[in-house]
Amino acid sequence: MATRAAEVNTIVPALSAERPVTWPKRTRAKLSNGLEVILAESHTIPKFHGELFFRSGNAAAIDRGPGLAEMTAAVLRTGTAKRASRQIEEDLRRIGADLASSAGADNSAISFAGLSELAEPLLGLVNELARDAVFPEAEFERERRQKLEEVKLERTQPGFLASERLRKVLFGAHPYAQVSPSEEQVASFERGDLLEVYRDFYTPENALLLLVGDFHPDSMLKAVENIFGMWTGKMPERKSAAAPAQPRGRRVHLVHVPGAVQTQILAGCHAITRKHPDWVKLGLTNSLYGGAFNSRLVMNIREDKGYTYSPRSSVNAFRQHGYFSISAAVRNDVVAASLTEIFYELDKLRSLAIPESELADAQNYLSGVFSLGLATQNGLLSQLAVVALNELPEDYLETYRAKVRALRPEDVVDTARKYFDSANMQIVAVGDRSQIESQAALFGGVETYDAQGRKLS
Amino acid sequence: MNRLQIPIESTTLPNGLRVVIAPDTAAPVVTLGVYYKIGFRLEPRGRSGFAHLFEHMMFQGSANAPKMQHIKLINSSGGTLNGSTHYDVTNYYEAVPSNALARVLWLEADRMRALKVDDENLRNQRDVVKEEVRVNVLNQPYGGFPWLDLPPVAFRNWANSHNFYGDFADLDAASLADVQTFFKTYYVPNNAVLLILGDVKPGEGCTLARELFSDIPSGPSPLFADPTEPKQTEERRGEVEEKFGTLPAMAVGYVAPKRRTADWCAMALLDQALHGGRAGKLYRELVLEKQLAVELDGGIEDVFGYNGPTQMVTRILHKPEFSGEATLAEFNKVIREIQEKGISEDELRQLKVKWQSDYYSLLEGGHGGMPRYGLMHLLACFTLFDGEPQLVNSILDGFLAVKREEIQAAAKKYLRNENRAIVFRKPVTAGAKEAA
Repeated sequence: MATRAAEVNTIVPALSAERPVTWPKRTRAKLSNGLEVILAESHTIPKFHGELFFRSGNAAAIDRGPGLAEMTAAVLRTGTAKRASRQIEEDLRRIGADLASSAGADNSAISFAGLSELAEPLLGLVNELARDAVFPEAEFERERRQKLEEVKLERTQPGFLASERLRKVLFGAHPYAQVSPSEEQVASFERGDLLEVYRDFYTPENALLLLVGDFHPDSMLKAVENIFGMWTGKMPERKSAAAPAQPRGRRVHLVHVPGAVQTQILAGCHAITRKHPDWVKLGLTNSLYGGAFNSRLVMNIREDKGYTYSPRSSVNAFRQHGYFSISAAVRNDVVAASLTEIFYELDKLRSLAIPESELADAQNYLSGVFSLGLATQNGLLSQLAVVALNELPEDYLETYRAKVRALRPEDVVDTARKYFDSANMQIVAVGDRSQIESQAALFGGVETYDAQGRKLS
Repeated sequence: MNRLQIPIESTTLPNGLRVVIAPDTAAPVVTLGVYYKIGFRLEPRGRSGFAHLFEHMMFQGSANAPKMQHIKLINSSGGTLNGSTHYDVTNYYEAVPSNALARVLWLEADRMRALKVDDENLRNQRDVVKEEVRVNVLNQPYGGFPWLDLPPVAFRNWANSHNFYGDFADLDAASLADVQTFFKTYYVPNNAVLLILGDVKPGEGCTLARELFSDIPSGPSPLFADPTEPKQTEERRGEVEEKFGTLPAMAVGYVAPKRRTADWCAMALLDQALHGGRAGKLYRELVLEKQLAVELDGGIEDVFGYNGPTQMVTRILHKPEFSGEATLAEFNKVIREIQEKGISEDELRQLKVKWQSDYYSLLEGGHGGMPRYGLMHLLACFTLFDGEPQLVNSILDGFLAVKREEIQAAAKKYLRNENRAIVFRKPVTAGAKEAA
């Protein structure tokens, strides 16, 4: 694949010929119980990494309570029909393994890593957790009390407060609006709710098992069939929620944290899912705007003006919807100045053609870092997971780089106009109201909340 | 059990620059790093935070690559880059498709040769660093806890006890002359190691390194201040106000043995017995059984890469209904039990399997998407501190040979009150008042 030359100093060594990027062959299978399996070899270390996904997460459990899928995942590892909590943790250590269980908006997952030669006992434990978790009452109570402290604690983190407010503003009545349960909601969780979520979500028809590592796929597949083959369970019913409407008109949502010595800015608007045909274009446009170190936003408000340490923009995709966001933690006295530059760079990208050389740089960046995923088991696993969970074409990994490199300057302007909706951008600012309110008000009507989410004005 | 063997080639250029190459051509990706043997421990007095501020300046322009060029050239080659300042080393690293190898080496050589920065660059990065400190410390619940809280309580030598992120007054006082002096003193090829890992042929790597770095003049060997601590004879305690967080917190640090001494391996496994995840004795007792703590973690940070006084630290956030003293009493019980009973043969076996497994993951280590970060870090530290990069292939032996008695002996020798420091973080927020 040709690499277009970027404008560089003539004494800088040129790039040599690229070695081909070859993605490992994937072995796919569907067991008779409906479990989908994808295996890929990676021999970097004598270990393997795996993830057992269930295609239902917090959004699917929203009617029973926000965060219930996460709570279910947390208690899952604390007991099975055969092993008590302490036994599970010691057995993991005995085989040199790590294991975590968690849930996001769209999926629940048990992720794990261990030594290749001890793969079977680890897969055996994963199977046990997926089928025979018993949710001991005492463990549930302990986790619930712990969760109560955690939800209080997260309300003291500027980053959490910002993303919670933005998700509420962008997604309204849709389940994606809920980032975390309230104290009252955690207090009302019951063990029976968890058992119900477990029965509904943790079934082979709803699951995908991904394994990457130092193994032979044929013998690994046999092991998987032996271990997971007897498990049964149906696909849960899928509920759909009405599409959220993009809020119209630029507004400021201020979260008041008295005494804050910095302001966390997070601005966003609706975007797209990974399946959308514009995904690659938007990824490239985001990379030019603020998705890379060498992007316009970072060069402007960090390297030129010194307003902030880590400004970034990103495209965040859920299964049904997505959003674009820009974040920067800035000095209190430059909130207005930072927002001015944030919008200046958005509108510039919407208005003016980008130079060919800048486009080439961004294309090389995106296609290059994409291939870094090849070099670690975990990196490869996460790329395979994105493809499988979003039902992207099977050749997605193989064709992505060519798609990035085929884009033209006009694609970037079109995409920025379509998705960088600066007129309707919702601005969240987490900071001390007395220091930032008048600055924030220059960018739209201000609604103010406290850290508990109560409206102050 | 299978043992991983990493092929390693190393050489030293006439100017003293050490070059270490670990080829693995499975993926067309190469990780590069340059490590300088200077961290924040031995930065100049009156210039707290300078080693880290200086690290930022290394991205601000060099002899032939003006500001923004360095970052632009790496990103536009399809790679990512960063740098970080540690106690005893500072690193600069990149992961790129292997066709950019010569370009990245050229950039690293260019900034080892000469730094070309001005007052404007320094003002800019001073502002950026202050926002970094705000986002990570001053405006975060439990910011800097306990890595900035413990040293001033635990240590008496300024090298180990000062504010490593820097007092703002010291950052403001830093001048361009300080930058150039620091560069001339510590950033000489004979105080550095170059690492090339992944898709590179050993011959090719050596040739490129020689072509690009050989003409950089060596400097006098830097003189390092003595970081030795006077012997501690009493438990030390301190208190820090928690401005945002709702939970009281405490950190307990015990001075660890010197790296690569006879006690080091036993102490590392003792650390795992106490802190190794949910099976670790402290997590099990304080979080799962007694349910006093909400968060508990800890250990010897960067166990392979420290080169001066270091502690094994336990970090605890506990429920407000328990006092700090009550939480500490339960912590002490766990310590006393391991001193009196040691650990079982079965537990030791578990710890060793896990240690080996963790070691492999560390070597492969994705760190912010950077493959082989851990291998790079270990090769660098083993080269700069021990002159022996090959240690990555043999260092495990010492840990796998540790006996039960040695773990118990380490617990008795190091986990003594007069060898520890404790910092309490007390929330000021209403509704989080600690019970008496």
